[in-house]
Amino acid sequence: MPVMQGKELRIVGFLCNWCSYGGADTAGVARAEQPTDLRIIRVPCSGRVDPLFIVKALLNGADGVLVSGCHPRDCHYSAGNFYARRRLEVLKRFLPVIGIDDARFEYTWVSAAEGQRWQQVVTSFTERVHALGAAPRIEDAKPFLKVADMALKPLRTLGTGKNAPLEKLKEAIKAKLPELECVIGWQKGYDDIHTTPLFMKSAEEVDKLVWGPLNVVNTANYLSQFKGKKVGIVVKGCDSRSVVELLQENLISREAVTIFAMPCEGTLDVARVNEKLGRYTIVNAADSDGAGLLVTVDGKKHSLAMEELAQGKCRCCTHPSAVLTDVLVGDAPQAPAAAPTPPELALLDSMGLEERRGFWRGQMERCLRCYACRNACPMCVCRDHCVSDARDPHWMTQEADVVQKLFFQTIHALHLAGRCTGCGECQRACPVGIPILALRQQTARAVEELFGGYKPGFDPAAVPPLLGYEVEEQNIRETRI
Amino acid sequence: MRIGVFICHCGSNIAATVDCAKAAEIAKSFPDVVYAADTMYTCAEPGQAAIEAAIHEHKLDGVVVASCSPRMHEATFRRTVERAGLNRYMFEMANIREHVSWIGKDKEANTNKTAELVKMAVAKLRNNSPLTAKTFDVTKKVLVIGGGVAGIQAALDCAEGGVPVILVERESTIGGKMAKLDKTFPTVDCSACILGPKMVDVAQHPNITLYAYSEVEEVSGYVGNFSVKIRRRASYVDWEKCTGCGACSEKCPSKKTPDAFNEFTGLTTAINIPFPQAIPKKAVINAAHCRQLTKGKCGVCAKTCPTGAIDYAMQDAFVTEEVGCIVAATGYELMDWTVYQEYGGGVWPDVITSLQYERLLSASGPTGGHIVRPSDGREPQTIVFIQCVGSRDKSIGRPYCSGFCCMYTAKQTILTKDHLPWSRSYVFYMDIRAPGKMYDEFTRRAVEEYGVEYIRGRVSAIYPDGQGRYVVMGADTLLGEQVEIKADMVVLAVGIEAARGAPGLAEKLRISYDAYGFYMESHVKLKPVETNTAGVFLAGVCQGAKDIPASVAQGSAAAAKVLALFARDKLENDPQTAQVDIRRCVGCGKCIRCCPFGAIKDSEIRGENKAQVIETVCQGCGLCTATCPQGAIQLAHATDNQILAEVNALCR
Amino acid sequence: MRVIRFIQSDGFPDFLARLSRNNRVLAPVVKPAGKRSVVFEQWREGMPVILEKTTVPPKEAVLPQCETLFVCKKSKNPDNPEDVGMTLGTVPEDASTTLPTLIFACRSCDARGFAVLDRPFLKGPFADPYYKARRARLAVITLTCSTGCNTCFCHWVGGGPSSPEGSDVLMTEIEDGFVLQAMTPAGEALLESSNLADGKDIFPKAEAARKAAWASLLPAPDLKNAQQKVAAVFKNEQFWREHAAACLSCGACTYFCPACYCFNITDEGDAFEADGARRLRSWDNCMSSLFTREASGHNSRAQKAQRLRNRVSHKFSTYPENWGKFSCNGCGRCISNCPVHLDIRDVVVNALAVEDE
Repeated sequence: MPVMQGKELRIVGFLCNWCSYGGADTAGVARAEQPTDLRIIRVPCSGRVDPLFIVKALLNGADGVLVSGCHPRDCHYSAGNFYARRRLEVLKRFLPVIGIDDARFEYTWVSAAEGQRWQQVVTSFTERVHALGAAPRIEDAKPFLKVADMALKPLRTLGTGKNAPLEKLKEAIKAKLPELECVIGWQKGYDDIHTTPLFMKSAEEVDKLVWGPLNVVNTANYLSQFKGKKVGIVVKGCDSRSVVELLQENLISREAVTIFAMPCEGTLDVARVNEKLGRYTIVNAADSDGAGLLVTVDGKKHSLAMEELAQGKCRCCTHPSAVLTDVLVGDAPQAPAAAPTPPELALLDSMGLEERRGFWRGQMERCLRCYACRNACPMCVCRDHCVSDARDPHWMTQEADVVQKLFFQTIHALHLAGRCTGCGECQRACPVGIPILALRQQTARAVEELFGGYKPGFDPAAVPPLLGYEVEEQNIRETRI
Repeated sequence: MRIGVFICHCGSNIAATVDCAKAAEIAKSFPDVVYAADTMYTCAEPGQAAIEAAIHEHKLDGVVVASCSPRMHEATFRRTVERAGLNRYMFEMANIREHVSWIGKDKEANTNKTAELVKMAVAKLRNNSPLTAKTFDVTKKVLVIGGGVAGIQAALDCAEGGVPVILVERESTIGGKMAKLDKTFPTVDCSACILGPKMVDVAQHPNITLYAYSEVEEVSGYVGNFSVKIRRRASYVDWEKCTGCGACSEKCPSKKTPDAFNEFTGLTTAINIPFPQAIPKKAVINAAHCRQLTKGKCGVCAKTCPTGAIDYAMQDAFVTEEVGCIVAATGYELMDWTVYQEYGGGVWPDVITSLQYERLLSASGPTGGHIVRPSDGREPQTIVFIQCVGSRDKSIGRPYCSGFCCMYTAKQTILTKDHLPWSRSYVFYMDIRAPGKMYDEFTRRAVEEYGVEYIRGRVSAIYPDGQGRYVVMGADTLLGEQVEIKADMVVLAVGIEAARGAPGLAEKLRISYDAYGFYMESHVKLKPVETNTAGVFLAGVCQGAKDIPASVAQGSAAAAKVLALFARDKLENDPQTAQVDIRRCVGCGKCIRCCPFGAIKDSEIRGENKAQVIETVCQGCGLCTATCPQGAIQLAHATDNQILAEVNALCR
Repeated sequence: MRVIRFIQSDGFPDFLARLSRNNRVLAPVVKPAGKRSVVFEQWREGMPVILEKTTVPPKEAVLPQCETLFVCKKSKNPDNPEDVGMTLGTVPEDASTTLPTLIFACRSCDARGFAVLDRPFLKGPFADPYYKARRARLAVITLTCSTGCNTCFCHWVGGGPSSPEGSDVLMTEIEDGFVLQAMTPAGEALLESSNLADGKDIFPKAEAARKAAWASLLPAPDLKNAQQKVAAVFKNEQFWREHAAACLSCGACTYFCPACYCFNITDEGDAFEADGARRLRSWDNCMSSLFTREASGHNSRAQKAQRLRNRVSHKFSTYPENWGKFSCNGCGRCISNCPVHLDIRDVVVNALAVEDE
């Protein structure tokens, strides 16, 4: 049963049972004539509307989605619409980054008495969607591959941590080791330009600890698996923000974790290092001159300057030192000023909606759904119970199409809204280099703009913005329709 | 599944613009639909009988009715399918009247839309599960918060009905605002004379436990089983020993203590009993003004007290009470009228509030019932009453009517004439609102028998004339001219707002409140006493402006709700509650954090933290389901899969 | 197998264009991004010719990430909605099913992977028709490697930079061009139908290059006892816990492995809808806890150490026990693509070092 050809567009409405559904009934009782496109799904509360329902609809052929709930303060459940308002506003700001016109989604408040207002809402939203026309499908977009310009000048001088007091750090760890199950850090990996996580249980293992720009893995990822045990963790500034988030979500307890920190001078973008050195080569030796690494590969010498090859997040890093520590070794440098738009997101900002659809189509095509992005994310706390693999709830299929793959990235980005610290592990982990970090950066930007500059990962006692609300929101303009 | 679909004509209400037969025909092609029919009036007796017959004949295990709004007849049809042996939740409705036939005339589009709405309903139904209500025990005890006339009435009615009552009052005496009034309209009978006996009844009723000078600190639990922590504020007097003799107050040297009970029209002592008829009649020390407590030197009352009741070291104490229902009757406060700079902003001593005037009229007030000017103690000759000071005034954010000011002002002008027969009273008003029984007659009496001069218009300024009187400048909009009156005294009918702390209490009770702090009833017309939190009821002005008769009536209504609830030994929950899949739950607590009802708790299952829904508290909003990233908590009857089925029916 | 041809370095576009007439030619394509990757995609005229080792192995040529096994449709008798008919619908066709596939610039390790995939899909009691159809029409032109690298270890596991197993043609770079050597009748036919010049004369140059490549490899440990040694540590929980400590349980190692063939089957869609219900076969990942979760909720490999043990044991112990060779070809993608840089070689080497009890 296709939508009536040429006459109607596909518009889906989510209406709360108590106010807006009643308002639509009131409009009907008053015989208030309305366009016929809208199909209403009745939900108990606007707070029940998972923003992912809306994305699901929009990615699968809806031309417009309308959510309507009780007016603020009138919620049948006291506060459901306050939560909805925050989540739906974040969604509204997220949609354009995947190439969906945010005008195709709207949320508003209509009371059970406001039949006339409902008529006006339906009419003007339907007219708006008709003016936009049928929604273009992401899978039909022309692939458009473009690479982020990483030549952004770092906020601070980056280095290799050559002079960091690593020995002092090792002594500090050894001193605490008897009371701890283990201490998580990094060790030399399969060659001189890769490190791998280290779980120190003995003094000999502490001596394997390395420090420098190759310590890319976020050690916080391993913390929640030690829940209930006392562990130590060595962190960079960015890792420490993930630790704070885990504390905030009660997935670890402050008493059980001992945080060892040294100020970080930046990490290398190993992918771009590989590109420079050649992907499949033999690394013979590596050394540091403070500003970069000197690497001998297949007998040839290369200089890997931090200035040139640092990760995007390090260029924009405002907190090189841990935000929460028990043992700080070395002097914490002054925190640089506010960060610019990260390069990955700046790339998306420079595109139009059609180009973004083409961009994601072109990028997602090669995704193998290995979920390295998800499993490398320290905030993916669902672990073995991710909805992407579930039948109940059954959000996704196993099909290898662009819509499924992009929908998963949307699930991840929206689940991380207000929780993502921008550590970039998702993108770094992707074996085929899909620049998915931009999606998380967009939710982070929306959260920061909407909720008083909130940045995750600084205050373990803070209420994450999407798990709270203000009766009067400062930055949300509610009624647009 | 075996699903039956019934497309209702609703006479011509639907059939006029929807081809019901065609829609039924299309419905037959939907998955699992084994029977589809169009019927004239599905909700009527033959229509319901047809559904029951079809369930039996076609062995249906699910039914979709496409007709009017589910808000109209969902309950009806659920009962229908239940009668035929199905679980009531194996039923879905498609709204093709209010949402289709009544809002568009294009029959082709309407028929197509009808078919799609049915398709969505079928898709959802295929994901439904039978749900059954749980029963639980009830603690047959009620908490009444606020001991004004509404709370007193609710408490007495419940107590009379055999229910133990916990009455919590913030002040040291019950009585509320009514206890401060001299007389009441429209009968002009003595407030103390009609309220006093009720207050005594509260004190003496074996079913009522009164916690005065106490506040609700915490509320947990749910209908039938609330647990309430009550803070008993330190009065510095052991009430077990205090006999209310008043000797302490007579001897207290701190005699310049502001008298809150008298609306600050007079002074009192640091230790006092607010008024002679106070219930409980117990002394309380005002810690901010007590010499012993502020300077550590005095102790006069302790020496005076014949029973040794004074205890300067007293701390706040807490008691916890288990109750099954809660009645909120927290009343109101006057708004801060000093925002009106044109009325002196509180500077001129003879410009007072009507409640202060009430204390001046009262025989138990600071002047013994003599009307005198606060500034110089002289009797006023000319008194101006100004209506709607802080009511119906959008400019200061008070758009609502305070409801009873018109009436008490009429009463006050009448009383003024009785007290000071030679005086002249003027009333500046916007409209006279006197819709109650004998109310209009009463205001007419003020004008016609007592010669009160009513001037329709607003006052623009009040200022002293330099000779001890006040110039009141206003407009008479009926005559269309400016009016200037030299007044000795001005009485402002100050608008009301919700009691101090009302929003905080609402949050503890998990009920809604409006922008002014008034509590939200469940339905403005049909459920004026209930809130959206089961087991919490409202009485009196906390829900909105109302006068004494209405407050008393609502107090009784709330009591009726409590008694009705307690008439059952077991309560049943609505099974549309959230359910946790403990295998999926990782115990991150996001659902616990945002549940508006505190219906989810952290529990330990085999050493792991898991969310646990208290089914009787869960109201079924589904916020948790939208919050849980792994979908481990699902709202029954609105699960992710059910909503996704509807989305998928439309978008693929 | 003495059909040998020579191609100039600039001759590939013509060669590929010719092959593309009758084949779906899958060739390495660079995907530009902050992290560049190389994947096999259908080559079309005008595309650059890339000879790099790909990030993703060519396994998808025969075993797609997700394929529709069948589509079923249901329809109702308009007169009796209880009377439901079911028919098989048509699976939408794509180039992978309509044309023979030719993989260009495969590597020896990846080509050997096909031999591992053949085991379950072709050589059991039943041949998998979907796999068989693709495999029967697959030709592989393998570019022999000129050096080893930090992650690859083909020579540990019975292969090498110019190992011919699974390849129809071996292609070796010499100065100015490449020598193509047919290794199978299909390869012979392929070269004979080309218009490439004969390369018998310069074949010794190719042989020399191959030898040089072998010589450049780092010495390999002796894995002849690996099967027994890995089996011997099976019950050593400590061993597996330590090696799995850093594992994130993602699928980067398995999905990028040319020899991993596990799959999952799911049903999607609605048979009453126009596009019908689909039975899908999609890659599965033994490193995920879901892999062994049973309907009851019981999970025989709930711990990641148990899962790593399974994967390594399968590749280095149980598979060789049953079929006589490792189900690992040493391509090293599980190492190079691992987000935390775990190294399967360490596990095997450390297992060899564990003293027998």
